[in-house]
Amino acid sequence: MSLFVNSWRIIAAAWKHFSRNLWLALTTVFVLVLSLLSVNVLLGVNVLLSNAVRQLEDKIDVSVYFKSETPVAVVEQAKFFMTSLPQVKDATVVTAEKALEDFKKLHADDPKIMSALAELDQNPLGAVLIIKARQTTDYPFLLEALNNPQFDFAIESKNYDDHSDTINRVRDISRSVQVFGAVLIAVFALFSILIVFNTIRVAIYTQREEIGIMRLVGASNAFVRSPFVLEGVFLALFALGVTSVAVYSAAVYVDPRLGGMFDGANAGLVAYFTAEGWRLALIEGGVLAGLVALSSWAAVGKYLKK
Amino acid sequence: MITLENVSKIYYPNVHGLTNINLTIQPGEFVSVVGQSGAGKTTLAKLLIAEERPTRGKIMIGGWDITKIPARDVPFLRRQIGVIFQDFKLLPQKTVYENVAFALEVAGIPSRRIREVVPQVLKIVGLDEKAARFPRQLSGGEQQRVVIARSLVHRPRVLLADEPTGNLDTINTREIIELLQKINAFGTTVVLVTHNREVVNSLRRRVITLSCGQVAADHAEGKYLLPS
Repeated sequence: MSLFVNSWRIIAAAWKHFSRNLWLALTTVFVLVLSLLSVNVLLGVNVLLSNAVRQLEDKIDVSVYFKSETPVAVVEQAKFFMTSLPQVKDATVVTAEKALEDFKKLHADDPKIMSALAELDQNPLGAVLIIKARQTTDYPFLLEALNNPQFDFAIESKNYDDHSDTINRVRDISRSVQVFGAVLIAVFALFSILIVFNTIRVAIYTQREEIGIMRLVGASNAFVRSPFVLEGVFLALFALGVTSVAVYSAAVYVDPRLGGMFDGANAGLVAYFTAEGWRLALIEGGVLAGLVALSSWAAVGKYLKK
Repeated sequence: MITLENVSKIYYPNVHGLTNINLTIQPGEFVSVVGQSGAGKTTLAKLLIAEERPTRGKIMIGGWDITKIPARDVPFLRRQIGVIFQDFKLLPQKTVYENVAFALEVAGIPSRRIREVVPQVLKIVGLDEKAARFPRQLSGGEQQRVVIARSLVHRPRVLLADEPTGNLDTINTREIIELLQKINAFGTTVVLVTHNREVVNSLRRRVITLSCGQVAADHAEGKYLLPS
């Protein structure tokens, strides 16, 4: 009974203190929100960069140009062989006729090219096999695989050389983004921890006399400490709620507006924060609440020794 | 009964707050402890509520040796000694009712009992109609009466008043002293630490005079002696 009564009193005291010191509480919440926002903004930037890299990687492919007289069966055999490789995500054949049609559409306004084409009595273009790898690191292997004696005699050219630099650059960017993002998040998390710790210390410093009075009227250390610790947890949860709303609203607002950077597709922020929201809230809320509770515990302890 | 045997308090590095104090205060007594600033009055008060520990000697309160009282037992001691301070020491974020109730809450007293006791005590000190006010909304005299109410809720056997009228005008001082006399009449031992000569002389009760950390005089029906 006594434990229940004391627990209830501690919760009630924490809540009353929170509501009656609203300005101090709001100031503390503001700092906590800033700390959480800095971490979430970095997470968002990381998501954007990762999505951009993925989109770039999606654009990379190897186009294999077959000689114009190559029979369709050889092209289909090449497609079948390449598709059977686990490194290949997709392989598409553009037939010689389709290639010619696309070429004509592309140069419809150029009379010189159109008249040159009319001079020819047969289709000068061959079929094209477009291969997409699952990972950019797979392209060198795929190029090697194209040297298959069953069809390599029919290949006129491959355009991988044009993309090799891009592929390497994208791979570097991707790696840098991951490393830099992780370091930045770690640094911001550390700053946030220091800011949160000091904010709580300052908040409790303003209440040091109150702590002394509580002890003078016979409150045990645990009875004095607990409401402050619990109030810290209230502050952390309140900050988490505010941050969640702010981050999700910002993602909804920004996502379609960044479409231009992603060829009209949305930037993937909403999808990320929807899918990972609960997990992030649990981790960030847990870490923040733990940190604030620990800071409060330590900060109050300083005034309990007197 | 409060007993101090050869109690000395020396502050670092070598400042003597109290030197060889020997005192016995009987249950139900009204004792004034007087002396000039620096005489050791507040040090004595702090020793009685275990805010300070004696360097030497022994302190007993109601048969309880508090000389080396462990930190975890201090809250229990403070629930048995009512304390009144010059600067009130009220919790500013709590109402009058909550300030008084807090002293019972920390002791784990059931809520129903608190709801019975607090209004009674507030009535005794004449603040039953101001229970919902915050300390900042009260006069100095009213704040001191809240402190007295808070100190009474545990029905303490000893009430220690450290300069309770230091911040009050003459009328409020008179009211507070009358309230202390009333509390004493119900059997509570009152230890009044003060340097207010008029108050001490009007009481005509036991006066212990401290000077330079030592007992200079102890008279059963004494007066505030002017320093020679």
